[in-house]
Amino acid sequence: MRQGRLIATGAMLVFCVFAVWQSLLLSLTDRLGPGPGFFPFWLAVIGAVLAVALLITTFREAADPSDAETRILPHGEGGKRWLAIVVLLAAVTVAMEFVGFRIAMFAFNAILVIALGERRWWVIAVFAVLGSVGVYYVFTTWLDVLLPVAPFGF
Amino acid sequence: MESLGHLLSGFAAALSWYYLLYALAGCILGTLIGVLPGLGPAAGTAILIPLTFSLDPTGAIIMLSAIYYGAMYGGTITSVLINVPGEAASVITCIDGHQMARQGRAGSALGIAAIGSFVGGTLATVALVVVAMPLASLALKFGPAEFFALMVAGLCLVVGLAGKNIMAALLMTVIGLLLALIGLDPVRGAPRFTFGVEELFDGIGFVPVVMGLFGVAELLLAAETRQTHMIEAELKSWMPTRQECKDCVGAILRGTGVGFVLGLIPGVGAIVPTFMAYVLEKRVSKTPERFGKGAIEGVASAETANNAYANAAMVPLLALGIPSSPTIAVLMGAFIINGITPGPFLFTEQPTLVWTVIASFFVGNVLLLILNLPLVGLWAKLLKIPFSYMCAGVLIFCIIGAYGLKQTMFDVWVMLGFGIIGYLLRKLDFPIAPAILALILGPMMEKSLRTTLEISGGSFAIFLDRPVALVLLTIPLIVIGFLVFKPRSLAPLRESDVE
Repeated sequence: MRQGRLIATGAMLVFCVFAVWQSLLLSLTDRLGPGPGFFPFWLAVIGAVLAVALLITTFREAADPSDAETRILPHGEGGKRWLAIVVLLAAVTVAMEFVGFRIAMFAFNAILVIALGERRWWVIAVFAVLGSVGVYYVFTTWLDVLLPVAPFGF
Repeated sequence: MESLGHLLSGFAAALSWYYLLYALAGCILGTLIGVLPGLGPAAGTAILIPLTFSLDPTGAIIMLSAIYYGAMYGGTITSVLINVPGEAASVITCIDGHQMARQGRAGSALGIAAIGSFVGGTLATVALVVVAMPLASLALKFGPAEFFALMVAGLCLVVGLAGKNIMAALLMTVIGLLLALIGLDPVRGAPRFTFGVEELFDGIGFVPVVMGLFGVAELLLAAETRQTHMIEAELKSWMPTRQECKDCVGAILRGTGVGFVLGLIPGVGAIVPTFMAYVLEKRVSKTPERFGKGAIEGVASAETANNAYANAAMVPLLALGIPSSPTIAVLMGAFIINGITPGPFLFTEQPTLVWTVIASFFVGNVLLLILNLPLVGLWAKLLKIPFSYMCAGVLIFCIIGAYGLKQTMFDVWVMLGFGIIGYLLRKLDFPIAPAILALILGPMMEKSLRTTLEISGGSFAIFLDRPVALVLLTIPLIVIGFLVFKPRSLAPLRESDVE
């Protein structure tokens, strides 16, 4: 846990330092007053100072015995479910651009519920159809929300 | 009197069949979201934003507000029946509510929660009507310096009162503000931190970020620790007895007062009023030993405070444009998506909208009471929905919500990225609420500060010349100073009170 907090705070420090550098590429002041770089520059400086202070505080903290048991990254059965959600979300985001919402969501729904433990094929099929074609119909027809359509029109 | 006239015309609009339908749909969907453990009001409201894309601004805000109230009540059902709070504010309800369910009094607990929520919500809305307009009139006298100071005060209160680790909460606020600055500079129009990516010229979308940090992150946490522990609770009756109602009158009135007052303070969060109301009730009770063993006053006080808080939290949003919690920030995002800027000008520029929305709060409270008393059994059945379907269903809404606003896959990637970041931040105990509030307030803060400095010719001394701004900037210093150096005796007192 402490190690994780140190890494996360370190990442935020890098982000703030990067923001300081990027802000300096913009003008901090001009003849009208503060420029586009003014607010982000001072924010990033404050952020970097806070990150350093937090790093020092976390580093000095006494080790908590329960920390050894706390895992930051998912593991075991829960980890597999976690990974299934992340990978399928990434896959459906890529797939929607090529095959449209309905086909991509049909596959996403079917594979996700299988990965999360469902085995009854007819339930999976009904859910996948409702969650893709059904949802597409409701959102595009009733709620006027545009959803991706494949180049071949489906 | 002026407020009353506006409110009556608001009622005329809010009672039209389509706005009633939006409020009803919002209450049902909100309760459904609240019932599902792991999905709180912020996630629920964010996830359901796509449903309002085609509605007019008033209808969209009415529906999302109803979702918010519905979710606040829905969390009670799981707290009572399975001892799992559907959202954070219902944690206190678990203490006595679940004990009542174990004693076969689940119906009484849920019934008094519905009645308390109705009374608390309605009385708090009455107070909102009285307070909001004078507060907005006062805020109209504010210049950019006062608004900047007000936003700093609001953010610092959120930092001070929401985060366990003040330094981490402050850092999260800065990160949120920096993320808010991505895109075109609001004053000069220069691109900042865009790196030539066209999608970033409009900034990072608030909706995909919120859906990621709340919706996706909560599902990832739930997927990792998924447990099924449904307990069949008896629901013989959904109404508390006359004696139980009589016993709860004081608790409901006190809960309303606590919830309303604390709802006005940005950053307090829904859990603090419920906790304070519960502790107060235990202290004033002649038989405090019953608390924790199924005391109906414990359920009534916490649930009343919960809904009174939810309504009172609308005051800083509508009158000042300051969101006091992540859920209210999501609602503020919905206002902005619909081209409305919450704040003092709302009452003068969009009186029809604002008073229709306020009138809909009353309507929503009545609808929730009508829905929740007889439908408790039905809501309880929703707890049996398998996680796989709930997860897939929520993700469908998240994908549509992230994509639907700008029709770009970039926003879906943003949602996924922030989902993973949100998951890690929660595991590492970094508070997310300050970042969300900073993300929505960032552009306004920058604009106010830069306008102030342009007026003063770049001198920060202008804040010393304006007493309101000076006082507002002093408040956060006092709050944060107090929390950093708070008396150590406070923590054990809090823990012992709810045991």
